[in-house]
Amino acid sequence: MDDRTHSWLRPLVAVFVGAAFFLPLYLVVVNVFKPGAEIVPHPAALPLPPTLDNVDAVLSRPDNLFTFGLINSIAVTALSITILTVLSAMLGHYLARSKRVLAKVAMVTLLCGLMIPVPVILEPITGVLKTLGLMTTLQGLILVNVGYYVPFGVLLFMGFVRSVPLELEEAAELDGASKLRVFWQVVFPLLRPASASVLIFLGVWIWNDFLTPLILLGPDSGTTVTVGVYRAIGQHQSDFGAVFAFMFLATLPILVFYLALQKNFVKGLTGGAVKG
Amino acid sequence: MTETQHGTRGEARPAAPRPSPAPGAGGTARARRRSSTRIGPKLGRFSLFALPGLLAYVVFVLIPIGMTGYYSFTNRNPFNPPTKWVGLRNYGDLLGDQEFRQALVNTVIITVIVAVFANVGGLLIAMLLDRPTRLYVALRAIFFTPVVLSAVVISVIWQAVLTDDGLLNSLLRGIGVDDPPGWLSDPDLALYSIAWIITWQMLGFCVVVYLAGLQGVPRELQEAASIDGAGRFARFRNVTWPMLAPALTINTVMLLITGFKAYDQIQVITNGGPGAGTTSTMAFQVVQTAFNGNHIGYSSAMAAVMLALVATVSVVTLRLLQRREVTQ
Repeated sequence: MDDRTHSWLRPLVAVFVGAAFFLPLYLVVVNVFKPGAEIVPHPAALPLPPTLDNVDAVLSRPDNLFTFGLINSIAVTALSITILTVLSAMLGHYLARSKRVLAKVAMVTLLCGLMIPVPVILEPITGVLKTLGLMTTLQGLILVNVGYYVPFGVLLFMGFVRSVPLELEEAAELDGASKLRVFWQVVFPLLRPASASVLIFLGVWIWNDFLTPLILLGPDSGTTVTVGVYRAIGQHQSDFGAVFAFMFLATLPILVFYLALQKNFVKGLTGGAVKG
Repeated sequence: MTETQHGTRGEARPAAPRPSPAPGAGGTARARRRSSTRIGPKLGRFSLFALPGLLAYVVFVLIPIGMTGYYSFTNRNPFNPPTKWVGLRNYGDLLGDQEFRQALVNTVIITVIVAVFANVGGLLIAMLLDRPTRLYVALRAIFFTPVVLSAVVISVIWQAVLTDDGLLNSLLRGIGVDDPPGWLSDPDLALYSIAWIITWQMLGFCVVVYLAGLQGVPRELQEAASIDGAGRFARFRNVTWPMLAPALTINTVMLLITGFKAYDQIQVITNGGPGAGTTSTMAFQVVQTAFNGNHIGYSSAMAAVMLALVATVSVVTLRLLQRREVTQ
C-alpha cells in the first residue's frame, strides 16, 4: 500500500467500507419517506416521489406518544445538563483547588461513580424517589440524572481547571471580589470549552437514556421520546414506515444539537484522549 | 447570602492559606487553630461550591449503593413482607443459579467480542481515514454517527435488518442463498448478533480516539525510522503503536464498561431469548429479577456481584494498560 503507486486504492477502500457501514442508517432514512407498502419489496430504493405520510402519522398519533415524549425529553435533557454544568463546574473547581484530604477522598469517591452501571442502583433509587415523593415525576428523573452524571462532569472540569492560572483568581480576590463572583466572572467563562464538552456529552447521553426513564417515569405518566421508540415498536412491529419515522423524528433534535456543537465535542473527547 | 458576605470579609485578609510553605492538611489545620474566623468562610465556600453536587451524588448514587449492599443480605420483597436478614444465603443461591451463570457467561462473551473487534476495527479504519482531505473528514462523520444515536434506535434498525424476513435475508435470498440464517432467532447466533450490534455502535468512538492518537505521532519520528530502513510494518510496530498506548487504554476501558452493562439491545430486540436466556446479560437479569420478579434481596446480590466484576476488570485493565504507557 505505497501511497504513490496505489493512490487510488485508499479512497476506494475507504468509500466502500464507509458505504457498507452506513447502509443500515441509509435504509432508515430512505424508508421514512416511502409509502408503507413499498418498503418490504424495495427496501433500498430511493423514495421517489417522497411522501410525508409516515411523518404525519407519527405527529398526529391519537395518544400523542411522540409529541408528549418530545416535550418531556427536551425538558429533562435541557434542565439536567444546565444544572449538571453549573454544579459540576463548581464542584470540579473546588476539588481541583482544595488541598484538604477530604477533597481528595471526595474526588476518588466521585471517580468510582463513573463505573457504576445503572441497574446496580436502580431499585434503591426508586425507593429514594418514593420517599421524596418524586417517583414518576420529571423532577425526580432530573435529580437522578444530576446525581448519576455529576462524576463525569467533575472529571472533565477538574482537568480543565488546572489549566486556568491561579493568579487570575487571586488578582480578582485582591480586588475585593467575593468567591462566588470570582467563580462566575473569572473562572466559569474560562471553562467554556469544558462546559461545551459536558453539555454535549451529557446532552446526548441523557437524551438517549432508556432504562432510567423507562423505570422512573413508569408506564402511566408520559415518557421520553427514546422510551417512546420502544413503546412504538411494541404496537406496530410490522409497520416499518411508522417505526422508522418515529425514530427519525426522535433522533433529529439531538442530532441537530450535536452537529451545532460538534467541533467542541470532538475536541473535548480527543483533548482528554491524547493527554491520557 | 450571608455566606457570600462572610466570604468577602474573609478573603480581604492577606493571610490566605494557599501560599503557605507547608501545604496539605497540616497547614490548613494549623491555620484553623490560629484564627477561628477561618472556619466561617471555609464552610461557606464548601457548602456553596461543593455541597450541591456532592449531595446529589450521595443521595442518588452512594445511598442506593449502600441499600443494594444491605438488601443483598435480606430476603426483601415488597409484596412479601416482612424483610428478614438472611446472611449470605442470596450469594450462596447465586452460585447454583444456572440462569445467572448463563447471563454471566453471555456478558463476558459480549464484552470480549466488543472490546476486541471495536478496538481492531477502529484502529484499521482510523489508519484508513488518517488523511486531511474532505473525503476522509466526511467519512469520519459517518462512522461517528451511531455513537450519537440511542442504543434503542440502533437496536430497532438492526432488528429490521437481521430479523428472519428482514432486509439482510431478503438480500441473501436475492443472490441465491435459499436458507439464510436466523440471525436473531437461532439460539446459537443471537448472542453474536447482539455483540455485533454493540460493536457497530462503538466502532466510531474508537475511530475518533485512534485518529486523535495518530495525529499525535510526530512526522519526524516516522521519517527517522524510514531513513533507518524500517519498513511499513516495522514503523507501525515500533513507532505508531507505542504512541497509541493512551488511545488503547481509553478505548479498552470504555468498551469493557459498555459491554458489561449491555442491557438496551437485549430488552428491545430479544428479551433474553430465543429459548431460555440465550442472550440474557447480567444487567438484564438484575432488572428482570428486581422489577418483574420483585425479588429485591436476590437481585441486589446479583447487582453486587456485577458491580464487583465491573470494578475489578476495569481497574485491573486500566492499571495494566497505563503501566504500558509509562514504560514507553
